[in-house]
Amino acid sequence: MQEELYIAFENYLNNEMALEEKITFDNKLHNDEAFKKQFELYKETTQFLEIKFSNDSVDFKKNLESISEEHFAVKPQKKESKVISIQSKWLAIAAMFVVFIGVWFINSGDNPSYSDYNQHENANFVERGSVIQDLKTAQEAFNNKNYGEAVPLFKKIVIENKTPEIEFYYGISLLEINKTHEAEVVFNSLKEGTSVYSQRAIWYLALAKLKLKEFKACKNYLSQISSDSEDYEKAQELLKDLD
Amino acid sequence: MASKILHHDQVYIDGLLNNNSSIVESIYKKFAPKVTYYIKMNSGSSDEAQDVIQEVLITIYNQAKTKGLELTCPFDAYFFLLCKRKWLNELKKSSNKEVTIKDENVSIDKDVEKLAIETETEDEKQSLFDEMFQKLGEKCQEVLKLSFVTKTMEEVASKMNVTYAYVRKKKSICTGQLTELIQQSNRYQSLKY
Repeated sequence: MQEELYIAFENYLNNEMALEEKITFDNKLHNDEAFKKQFELYKETTQFLEIKFSNDSVDFKKNLESISEEHFAVKPQKKESKVISIQSKWLAIAAMFVVFIGVWFINSGDNPSYSDYNQHENANFVERGSVIQDLKTAQEAFNNKNYGEAVPLFKKIVIENKTPEIEFYYGISLLEINKTHEAEVVFNSLKEGTSVYSQRAIWYLALAKLKLKEFKACKNYLSQISSDSEDYEKAQELLKDLD
Repeated sequence: MASKILHHDQVYIDGLLNNNSSIVESIYKKFAPKVTYYIKMNSGSSDEAQDVIQEVLITIYNQAKTKGLELTCPFDAYFFLLCKRKWLNELKKSSNKEVTIKDENVSIDKDVEKLAIETETEDEKQSLFDEMFQKLGEKCQEVLKLSFVTKTMEEVASKMNVTYAYVRKKKSICTGQLTELIQQSNRYQSLKY
């Protein structure tokens, strides 16, 4: 009977055989080539299952995926600035000078405001062959700064399809349409998580406080942003402005 | 002859095996750009490069975990060759893609090639096991999964609301069935052990 054979294999591998039985089994392994082959495959299959379902493997794959996503994430702002012809460079400098004076007049003696810092990166979660139509529409609305349109879509999506990435953009959209407290709830839950967005959520929590003009709480968040975070420099700048 | 001399790049293999984030990140930083460039030059996209790299790293991880993996050559060469061969295979599969290979005429080190082929064979075996597991009945899949995720068989039994003896028996029989499926497949016959 095959069944009894498999049960014997299992007992042997788990060291749960009576001594006598084990001796017979070992003998058979030595003398019966077909039996040995069958046992070796059983052993290999067990090892395969062990690795397939081990926590280590699952953790490794998750970690690998997030590192891979981060490595391949596109950073559009940085790329564009490289190609500027000499002529337009002077124009740009002149324009910046004008803007600078303007900003200086508006800002002098004033506290920094949310609108100085609300440049968000584009969302691009649906490039990889996604079929969720809502997500695609939400992404387009977000990237076109139609936050009012994006919010109800994101709200619907996160009920079924909650990922840190989607929550992150949902939070930003809420913040933009002045649902600041709701945004804070979203960012707080991201902050408590372990995703790559947990650090970024702190920056947005600081911006939420800035928007509410709660400067002390804002500074408190800013000081929590670690020096290897991509928001670190902005955070330091804002901290300085708030002092 | 002395035993194989380990290359100092073994740190990358060990880093993968221990799920060491900073080592995995440095693999991406140091070795991924070359692969991405190669795939883009050969009818691929950045997304496709991302997939190939991720799959190859999982393959390396699996081999290290199953059989142990002793690196006798630079990681760069080994990793690049694996990615390249994987990409060429993908291209062959999707024949609707126009294939123009821009290849540098570098002769491949024998050691590197041997190790890469070993890894590929191991990977084929893994994917065969995976495929056959999917062919098992639902009940068997559940019992096996629970048996390996859960710490003790007693816990498995209580989770499934059956007796310990039943679970033990079922696990043996299901593993046995899986070995039968594997043995009966054509691919198993062609895989050299």
